[in-house]
Amino acid sequence: MAAAKKDKDFSPEIVALYCRQCLDAEERPQEGARQTKGFTARLVMLPCSGKVEAYQLLKILEQGADGVLLVGCPENACRFLVGSRRAEKRLTRAGQLLDLVNMGAGRLALKRAADLTTADILALAGQLAEQVKTLGPSPMKGDSL
Amino acid sequence: MIVAEWKPIPELLASLKGHKNVLLVGCATCVAECAAGGEREVLTLAPVLKMGLKDQGQEVNIITRTLERQCEPEFVEELSEIAPQVDAIMSIACGIGMQLVAERFIDLPLYPGVNTTSLAIREQAGLWTARCAACGDCMLGETFGLCPVARCAKSLMNGPCGGTRKDGKCEVDENTECIWRLIVERAEAKGRLEDLVKVRPSKNWSNSGHGGPKRMLREDLR
Repeated sequence: MAAAKKDKDFSPEIVALYCRQCLDAEERPQEGARQTKGFTARLVMLPCSGKVEAYQLLKILEQGADGVLLVGCPENACRFLVGSRRAEKRLTRAGQLLDLVNMGAGRLALKRAADLTTADILALAGQLAEQVKTLGPSPMKGDSL
Repeated sequence: MIVAEWKPIPELLASLKGHKNVLLVGCATCVAECAAGGEREVLTLAPVLKMGLKDQGQEVNIITRTLERQCEPEFVEELSEIAPQVDAIMSIACGIGMQLVAERFIDLPLYPGVNTTSLAIREQAGLWTARCAACGDCMLGETFGLCPVARCAKSLMNGPCGGTRKDGKCEVDENTECIWRLIVERAEAKGRLEDLVKVRPSKNWSNSGHGGPKRMLREDLR
């Protein structure tokens, strides 16, 4: 019981992959690690969320991240038309595989939004961090980020 | 193309039990086209296996390679440098490629990562349907380009059977067209319906697997 509580108290490492088209026009793209209260986020900018493949999401988790957030444009506002929808399919596929190996699809999340700031992305990463806390630290931690 | 599907993940994990260094090898040809064994699938399966084995308390190092064609000895030879570093090979190529790898690296256990299922086309994005059964006596000229051996659930030579659904689908699978209905429709459209009632010689099954393992020899190429 104590161990479970301890697990929930850990500070998750979240990799946040975000489409640059989601950013507010005035916002300067940010990348790299951000230490925030309760979790750490590593920001990675993408040309489109549809650029992400299922294997990349899995690889990030295999290397020890506690969760992966994918931020894409609203479904009908993708600059590349189907990128945001492709991202959802790939994330679903990766989630199904994670469930099969008891990692939990809950370590992945897709959020769709527009005109975001870096603070907004960090807030979305924070939501995933709270979700990941219920799953506990990644068992793959060690080789890590 | 030759179509294959991943074996169930628990089966794959069970086969790798006790191994510490595994070579996961794919093929960039047919099985890549059917999204089962190409580079993308190798890169997808490797972390899944690693996480799954970790969940079972087993640490494993998985080395990944994707050969241009796993059914050609010249390409399989590319694995010769990496093979001494592993204690098992898992292949996600078709059964042909797997056997060539097993034959070349006979001291290593080889585990199949996929089941080879059919010779098929990509009918739509994400949908592959069988088109050929490699029967060895092609009759497409008599059936208006539609193969009843591969595409009729009963491989009938003189269909349709009585089980065609009202919507023209096969009684075995509601998503599959009755191929004999399509053959009849195509014959009608060409005004050659009477061709289908002609008596044809018996099909020569001895040129397929029914005649024992197939062996083709061309002296001029040796």
